[in-house]
Amino acid sequence: MEYALLGIIGILLCLLVIGIEYIIHYKMAEKDDNKENEFNTTCHKMEIWVEGILYAPTEQCRINEIQSLAETIGNSAEKYELFMAALNKIKENYIQAESSTKPIDDLIEQVDSIVDPIKIYSEMLDSDDVYHISYACRCLADHNAIEYKDKIKELSENEDPNLAYNASMALAHFGDTQSVANYIHRIENNKTISFRLVNEFFENFTGDRAELAEMLFKNSNKYMRNTIIKSIAQYKIERFIPMYLEGASGDDLEFKNSCIVALGFFGLPEYEQLFQIAAQDQYWVLRVSAIKGLAKIGTHTALETVKNALNDKEWWVRNTAADAMLSMDISAKDIEDILGGYDRFASDAIKNLLYRKIDMKSD
Amino acid sequence: MNFLNIVRDFIVVFNYFCMAFTITLSIIYVLQMFISFANVKKDYKKQFSNDFIRYSQSDNLMPISLIVPAYNEEANIVQNIHSLMKINYPQYEIIVVNDGSKDRTPELVINAFEMYKIETSIRYQIPTQKIRGIYYSRKYPKLLFVDKDNGGKSDALNAGVNISKYPLFTCLDADSRLEKDALLKLGIEFIKDTRIVVAGGIVRIANGSKIVDGEFQGFSMPKKLVERFQIVEYYRSFLAGRVFWAKTNSLLIVSGAFGLFRKQTVIDVGGYKTNTIGEDMEIVVRIHKMMHKNKRKYRVVFNESSVCWTQGPMSMKDIRSQRRRWQIGLLDTLISHRDMLLNPRYGFVGLLAIPYNWIFELIGALVEAIGYVLIPFTLMMGELNMFFFITYFMLAVMLGVILSEGSLILEQHTHRHAMSAKQSLQISIYAILENFGYRQMITLFRVEGIFKYRKLRRTWGEIKRKEFEQ
Repeated sequence: MEYALLGIIGILLCLLVIGIEYIIHYKMAEKDDNKENEFNTTCHKMEIWVEGILYAPTEQCRINEIQSLAETIGNSAEKYELFMAALNKIKENYIQAESSTKPIDDLIEQVDSIVDPIKIYSEMLDSDDVYHISYACRCLADHNAIEYKDKIKELSENEDPNLAYNASMALAHFGDTQSVANYIHRIENNKTISFRLVNEFFENFTGDRAELAEMLFKNSNKYMRNTIIKSIAQYKIERFIPMYLEGASGDDLEFKNSCIVALGFFGLPEYEQLFQIAAQDQYWVLRVSAIKGLAKIGTHTALETVKNALNDKEWWVRNTAADAMLSMDISAKDIEDILGGYDRFASDAIKNLLYRKIDMKSD
Repeated sequence: MNFLNIVRDFIVVFNYFCMAFTITLSIIYVLQMFISFANVKKDYKKQFSNDFIRYSQSDNLMPISLIVPAYNEEANIVQNIHSLMKINYPQYEIIVVNDGSKDRTPELVINAFEMYKIETSIRYQIPTQKIRGIYYSRKYPKLLFVDKDNGGKSDALNAGVNISKYPLFTCLDADSRLEKDALLKLGIEFIKDTRIVVAGGIVRIANGSKIVDGEFQGFSMPKKLVERFQIVEYYRSFLAGRVFWAKTNSLLIVSGAFGLFRKQTVIDVGGYKTNTIGEDMEIVVRIHKMMHKNKRKYRVVFNESSVCWTQGPMSMKDIRSQRRRWQIGLLDTLISHRDMLLNPRYGFVGLLAIPYNWIFELIGALVEAIGYVLIPFTLMMGELNMFFFITYFMLAVMLGVILSEGSLILEQHTHRHAMSAKQSLQISIYAILENFGYRQMITLFRVEGIFKYRKLRRTWGEIKRKEFEQ
């Protein structure tokens, strides 16, 4: 009898759960339906509105339309984003029909002056949801809302990694060297993300990258220092050349490689000797970096070394050398010689790269 | 007489065992679903600030090789390649591997994309059947067509891996369609966490849905009952099951239709196993094994917002062939890696995921099938109380409905606006109806797979699928 009672309780419980599930499902589906309809209607309205403003017959008419659009958007981030989406959609067609997008840019400016997106996103900063706050930080940075820098700075120290990251990215957008450096220091031991984040931060940083790098070099661990060097290599910051030169002649393999990579970006013939030595190094990683550097220098002797690297025992070195050769001043005869030569490694590497090169150029 | 009593007692005890087993299995599924729900909800909220579109032109994303093995795919292949070319991802290449098709697949692709044969060296990091030629197109530089001798899907994938130039690759079925941003969402996983070696996306049944150029454009209820049941089934399997296993880093299967892999890891484990039809599960299990053996930190993840659409089979005959194949693939993988079973060396995978698959996914089908015969028999013998039987039956059905309905809520949560409220509720009805006939048939197909393991373990079988709407 006890089992029977248990069974009945089980069935009743299941029925209750199923009932609740059905209600939740129905409510969710209904809510999504309404949202979808509302979204489609607003999208359509926005498109008509924007077109109406752009092609308004008189200036007064235009001003009235803008005013009314701004009132409709009100304080809603969602509606503001729909307005921007409608504008972008129209912009694509507009570019084809008109020579300039100035009227659209003017419209954004005028609507922004009434709607005040900064206010919309700043209100989102007070939300309870960290993801909304994170989003608001990025949007405020996109709108250059420098007045919220201090608040965002506080958020960049939040324990939630998502919020801290987004707030710090916003600060990178504002060019806040100290705060960005602090954040990078905090994540430097997290090797699973720090490399990507350093790249992203330097890419989005609007302040003095050299100053940020210098600040980071002072207290960073070895891994972070090497990551930063590779990240900033593309910006060719001359003040670090002495450090690169010193590192390139040192014993720390990782540091040496980062420095060779960084020097390679400068493409200066005075460093050729350094690359020539590194191209003979026992570590293939260094040989690869050196070959890339030699490719940028492009002298006759550099070309000879790169050619020799085509028969390196490491596949990646051969591949890099073939890639480098095609970007250097090499004659068709040289290529023919290698392709028809006795060295299978060299001919394979060139063959492999030839069609890939065509691929890249066509892109 | 004594012997008969023993048999009768055995039947009765086994009968109760079957009942307890199915109820336990259902409860486990439901618990998984609730845990998945919490995770999906959290992930969905996270997406708000993830803002993946910011990455669409970023150099920080790792380039991807899309490998499409094709065997007799003349009906879909050209259309599929065109759809792949519209994917939103900064840097990728498409490698179509013709696995010795007997139809016009190579001819159609070469002509449609104005391709010509090129000479290039191939880095054979994984042995494969002979490659007859590689074709390239100046007009479509992202596309590469590889013509090779027939060697099966795994062999075609291995050839694609050898030829690919990028550090990540994804295998895609020629009859599936990726959503426009699917790769972007999955690719981000690899830069968010460098330990990730495999990331799986969700596979949705496209029957009834209109997919144009990788964009979902509406849903209408598919005509056939089997198609409707499959919609519920896929949601249940992907949203309730895989989310849970991925959270414990013991996901054993990443769908063959859509998964993103770190190429070097796949090369390190020796590529796809060629003499199996469950290559998608086998490769993931082998990766788990190697990573644990070498004590390397790694993660296998699942991203429920990254969508690939596939056309489900439209007849019971084709479903039978498909499920039989899945069960054989499961059995083959579990046998091949039986040393992982309950082996603490493999962590959660060895102690939880592998035993779970042995007990519930493999043997579970057998127990359930025996129950279908035994329970009515015991009832007729008068050994089973009718009230008890009805209670059991209702509980089993209801737990099944809770699971399916829960998965539909998860679907509503992750893929908003896919169905109207009316359609959502219509589909809900099939979450109930599938328990009366369809579920039992599927179990029998799975059991058939176990019994025909030796005979069919190398046979793929052909499944007729609907074409995608243009």
